[in-house]
Amino acid sequence: MTPHDDQAGRILRALGGVDNIVEIEPCTTRLRSEVKDPAVVDQAALRAAGAHGVVVSGRVVQVVIGPSVDVLASELEDLM
Amino acid sequence: MAPDYKHVRVRDYLRGLVAHELAVGDTIPSERELCERFGVSRMTVRQAIDALVNEGLLHREQGRGTFVAPPRTDMELRLVGFGDDMRRRGMTPHTDLLDAETVEAPWDVAESLELEAGAAVHHVQRLGWADGRPMALEEAWVSAAIFPDLLDGAPDAFPESLYATFRDHGHDPDWGEDTVSASDASEHEAELLRLGSARTVLRIARRTFAGQVACAFSRSCYRADRYTLWVPLTAPNPVVTPARRHR
Repeated sequence: MTPHDDQAGRILRALGGVDNIVEIEPCTTRLRSEVKDPAVVDQAALRAAGAHGVVVSGRVVQVVIGPSVDVLASELEDLM
Repeated sequence: MAPDYKHVRVRDYLRGLVAHELAVGDTIPSERELCERFGVSRMTVRQAIDALVNEGLLHREQGRGTFVAPPRTDMELRLVGFGDDMRRRGMTPHTDLLDAETVEAPWDVAESLELEAGAAVHHVQRLGWADGRPMALEEAWVSAAIFPDLLDGAPDAFPESLYATFRDHGHDPDWGEDTVSASDASEHEAELLRLGSARTVLRIARRTFAGQVACAFSRSCYRADRYTLWVPLTAPNPVVTPARRHR
């Protein structure tokens, strides 16, 4: 499986699933997400799904995606 | 109750002169004139001038005086190299190649370039000049596996633009991220950048990508008295929340 097969589904699972999401927002090159429990976020799985970096600060998890983050965010919206 | 900061009055007066009456390269009134005009000590006048020198509004030359500095052109950061950035700002660039060698990637560089720690990377250090004066010191690391022949012409025929070289190799940089911070220059940086009393530099760490390929990681420091950033602002994007599934 290449990083971009079902990228949205894999990223959502790595963020702890829909139940762990408070909100998400595409920010130019990053997916900014606020989660309920940052401890269940799987950074290795985010990387494996094509993330170029993960920045966690409190309950905010920023996932570096690139310009395709807009598409990713709308796909995530469909899954949520 | 409010303290009367005399140096602030002198500073604001000079700021007004620069904005409305003086041209670039003009000398400002002498310290003695300013002392007399405001009835303040020479130390107070110097404090005011120092502040504006630090801001980059004035430029002091040892033994010659204090002059109105050229304006700093601010510009939105784009994914271009130093030379193109300076040209976009209306300045003439050139670069000195200080170092070009293939090394083992330190862990932070490896992480930024998505390589194993210790992988071979080209390390390039350059001093960037704008209009004949030092502007920025840049260190860049490039994966040797992706761009094996990058240093072949160094130091004599090193390309001005790494980005052009990436394009020649079929990796057209199309996005990146800058992380900007500010601090004082080190002694070594201050010497290369020929900094005077104003030591603040803007530090920009950049990751450059072509699609999914991490092409380069760089750390640059820019003279804060010559370089400003302009950041366009837009309203935040609408957030997506799981609650929307109940629509």
